[in-house]
Amino acid sequence: MDELRRFARELLLKKEVAAVIGYEQVGEARTRPVVITDPDECRRLVLNEYCLNNLVVYLNRARIKALARSKEGIRKLAVVAKPCDIRSIVALIQENQIRRENLMILSMNCHGVVRDFGCEFNGDNLAAKCISCNTQSSTYADKSFGEVREIPKFTGKLEYDLSEIEQLPPSKRMEFFREQFDKCIKCYACRAVCPLCYCQRCITDKTIPRWIESSSHSRGNFAWNIVRALHLSGRCTGCGECERACPMDIPLSLLNRKMAMKSKELFGYESGKSTDNPTLVGSYDQKDSDELFM
Amino acid sequence: MKIGVFICHCGENISRTVDCPRVAETCEKIPGVEFSIDYKYMCSDPGQKLIKDAVEIHKLDAIVVGSCSPNMHERTFRSAAVAAGINPFLVEIANLREHCSWVHEDVESATQKAIELVRMAVEKVKRDKPLSKIKVPVTKRVLVIGGGIAGIQAALDVANAGYDVVLVEKEPSIGGHMSQLSETFPTLDCSQCILTPRMVEVNQHPRIKLLTYSEVEKIEGFIGNFKATIRKKARHINEDICSGCGQCVSKCPIKKKAFSSFEEGLAYRPAVYIPFPQAVPNIPVIDESVCTYYRNGKCGMCVKACDRQAIDFDQKDTMMVADVGAVIVATGYKLYSIGKQPLGSKYKGYGEYGYGKYKDVIDGLQFERIASASGPTSGEIKRPSDGKEPKKIVFIQCVGSRDPAKGISYCSKICCMYTAKQAMLFRHKVHDGEAYVFYMDIRAGGKMYEEFVRRAIEEDHVNYIRGRVSRIYEENGKYIVKGEDTIAGVPVNIDADMVVLASAMIPHDNAPGLAQKVGIPYDKYGFYNESHPKLKPVESTTAGVFLAGACNAPRDIPESVAMASAAASKAIILFSSDSLEREPVVARVNEDLCAGCFYCRKVCPFGAVEVRDIKDMNGVVYKEVAYINQGVCQGCGTCTATCLSKSIELAGFNNEEIFAEIAAL
Amino acid sequence: MDNKEKHIENGWEPKIVAFVCNWCTYAGADLAGTSRLKYPANMKIIRVMCSGAVDPVFILKAFERGADGVLVSGCHPNDCHYNAGNFHARRRWDLFHALLDFAGIEKERLQFSWISASEGKKFADVVTKITNDIKMIGPFKGYQEMNRQFTTEFPEQEKEKLVQQCTEAEAVNG
Repeated sequence: MDELRRFARELLLKKEVAAVIGYEQVGEARTRPVVITDPDECRRLVLNEYCLNNLVVYLNRARIKALARSKEGIRKLAVVAKPCDIRSIVALIQENQIRRENLMILSMNCHGVVRDFGCEFNGDNLAAKCISCNTQSSTYADKSFGEVREIPKFTGKLEYDLSEIEQLPPSKRMEFFREQFDKCIKCYACRAVCPLCYCQRCITDKTIPRWIESSSHSRGNFAWNIVRALHLSGRCTGCGECERACPMDIPLSLLNRKMAMKSKELFGYESGKSTDNPTLVGSYDQKDSDELFM
Repeated sequence: MKIGVFICHCGENISRTVDCPRVAETCEKIPGVEFSIDYKYMCSDPGQKLIKDAVEIHKLDAIVVGSCSPNMHERTFRSAAVAAGINPFLVEIANLREHCSWVHEDVESATQKAIELVRMAVEKVKRDKPLSKIKVPVTKRVLVIGGGIAGIQAALDVANAGYDVVLVEKEPSIGGHMSQLSETFPTLDCSQCILTPRMVEVNQHPRIKLLTYSEVEKIEGFIGNFKATIRKKARHINEDICSGCGQCVSKCPIKKKAFSSFEEGLAYRPAVYIPFPQAVPNIPVIDESVCTYYRNGKCGMCVKACDRQAIDFDQKDTMMVADVGAVIVATGYKLYSIGKQPLGSKYKGYGEYGYGKYKDVIDGLQFERIASASGPTSGEIKRPSDGKEPKKIVFIQCVGSRDPAKGISYCSKICCMYTAKQAMLFRHKVHDGEAYVFYMDIRAGGKMYEEFVRRAIEEDHVNYIRGRVSRIYEENGKYIVKGEDTIAGVPVNIDADMVVLASAMIPHDNAPGLAQKVGIPYDKYGFYNESHPKLKPVESTTAGVFLAGACNAPRDIPESVAMASAAASKAIILFSSDSLEREPVVARVNEDLCAGCFYCRKVCPFGAVEVRDIKDMNGVVYKEVAYINQGVCQGCGTCTATCLSKSIELAGFNNEEIFAEIAAL
Repeated sequence: MDNKEKHIENGWEPKIVAFVCNWCTYAGADLAGTSRLKYPANMKIIRVMCSGAVDPVFILKAFERGADGVLVSGCHPNDCHYNAGNFHARRRWDLFHALLDFAGIEKERLQFSWISASEGKKFADVVTKITNDIKMIGPFKGYQEMNRQFTTEFPEQEKEKLVQQCTEAEAVNG
């Protein structure tokens, strides 16, 4: 942690970066994102099991981008990113949103995070995405901090089991998702935290024509959640922020995980793995399956 | 907005199953519809006058016509609208004939469907925006790919009309398969004698730039404005200095290492070679794969032989770019290889005929070389195996063709004729020889073609046997051809001295590869698709790319030549004005909304999407957005559906219009 | 009594929408007409330029507007008028179909085909098949329940008045 603070301070002092985006502790079991431009403020930075947010989302924010822009051109931004968050960076680079040369990626050797703030870090409270994590450290980062430690074995219980839902007959599945989506209040927190939802104006905010009905009735909710999952198909890197941010506890990552599985199954594609890969959407293979087509 | 609805009876074609007056009546009630009427023939002059008058009287802003398919009369009604002072893109057609009256029998449900189709069209036309045609400049130069007879003809026609031509041929000489033939049917005139003058004309024509031993690497752009990148392969001979004296060829010590592809493998050629004596240009090529110099850096006999220092071992492939307005693809065909097929080939081959195993079982082109006065036997019919004169030759037709089990369902069209010709040539040259032809059917449709086959049978006494050959095997120096005479219903065994297989015409192996570079579709065999099988036989579906000859389907010489001239005239028509008008169905980006993810750029099949920088007041780029080149865009709309922020709209099919159609269901 | 008979006895006819490309399937449908082939009248065609131009949201919209089934059809692979539009479409539909399937929308509700301009017969067969499939599984209850939440049935008189008003409004506003 000290190493990170020192390193970040150096970066700012030497004016190598315009700002450092990181985490600061607020209370015992909670952190929050912080954007630091003053070298002395770097002492606020922390790295622990409570660093839940995917800070990559801030890299594409207009205000943060403005921080990096000056008369002389574009300066670098430093971002603290867990190895899994780095996949979002890769996806954003593939989609021309950020450039690697404008970034300083400060990563950590991660051993899992808690499922939510306030929980004690143990096997029961491990975040779902950490259960089968295989990217505890990243080679893509400029520098990694912390020691490599093992992720605790998951001993809790997941509220929804993907494979169980897959087993249900279609009408039951539709009922299940309708019930879940009916909870939606269209606050768009899922959209706000998603690093890949960077459109200036989201499809759901467009009125001519009206793509998605904006009132939060069943039909509009269904359409919104389906379209959200669709637009993330083959792009979502599974950070799970949408589900964590959802105030109505809709299991959003079920859809995202299912689509990630399908992308892998149908096209052998995993998003955010390498900037060399062509994106799933936007490329094709003549040998793609023709099974669906009569 | 005031909309006029016009329902056509199409005589009785629509009104038989659709209650047209009721459709017109019901549609009058749709909000926005000012005027609605049904009429016997909307496309007729009185019908169009009806539209014009209605527009005037009712002050209509847009028109919906319920009639036949837009593919039939959209243009008619658009012109009628223009005559009445309405933008042609404020016209929508509800397809009440092909999609309704002709395919349904129940009057009630057909009428109901017709009403809904008209309603969808009304809702769409309400959102339609007036559009005007886009003008693009034209580069008046043609790229002809392929220097066979089709490419030669096309190049000469375009050049003689006064336009520049770039002719690209992948072999060292132009001439194609026609230059290999001995005589041509049905006149038996010498192929070389009629072709060579044309080849020379190409070479000397001031408007034709001939690039032999070259291949098209890629083609970018669009009708009127293509940019072709051409790879000029290294000949290792300096073309500017070489006089074509052939000293290097005769001094080359490599004599028996490489087969001549011009002689279809029946003769050897040196490492430095001119494919055939009449080659154009008459400049040799060094084959790196057999040349001693490239193996150990020694030899150099040719360098010593050349008194002009034209040999250049260090020559590299060069790239050149040509700006052209139209492309004529004339890449021709190859013969179905009848021996054992490589693993994974879609063709099965004819192992049972022993091609490749028995030296005297040959294909049609090989026989042409044997019969040709300039061929390896100087025109005397001799067996490849021992050089003896064969007394009994069996010709087998439809080897590959019309045989789905072997991978090809189509008829290769020319084999009936050339087999008759070859059998005749054999009979003319070997007076005591016997010729047998196994055929499935004789297909001799063409001027003087049937007469020609009859002549082979009646005057030259070629024995025609209707039936297939099951197997060929060698016995006592003879080839036993086991077949069946299906007319007599008896098995036939012939002990032949030589067998000639009329194998199918298929596209070149790299035909799909070239198609992808040029951007034209092809069928399952690899033949290039014409835009319309009847009405647009020489146009490809890509505007500005035309097809000539056997790259499109099996064709004989006169057909290839006719097609080439047709393709040339299409290009010349294109050049008749300085700019082109094209449909305004193109995509446009809303730069304010564009998030700059460039998925549109990734999916665009035409490379129409460019990057445009949006700068802040200090001149620093703060956003990159997509920009669609209106000239390049073909209006498929793939980008609009891919765009996540929905900031691209396709004019004429924008999302609002389609949503309105869906809402009207 | 099987499902199909049950649904038909209720006098129910499915509503089906097809999004077809201009070059192949639309022309194939024209050919079905010129060949006077017969197929059920349940499907209505919306023409787009290329199967690659069909947005998945169009399909959701169609369901929202009461469609019981949707067909998307374009040129065969390698036969696309725009070379690759249908390849991109194929990827998109593979994903979207999987998503809808997971969300509980029966596979039959959304179907895909490649129909060339020369396959009039295939077009008629595909329409017949999809109509039968939908008749078999019945009305799209799942979506219609969502629709019902906020669809008010106007009395017939009121409706006419409303239409009248709309027309006037349109006339005024142009």
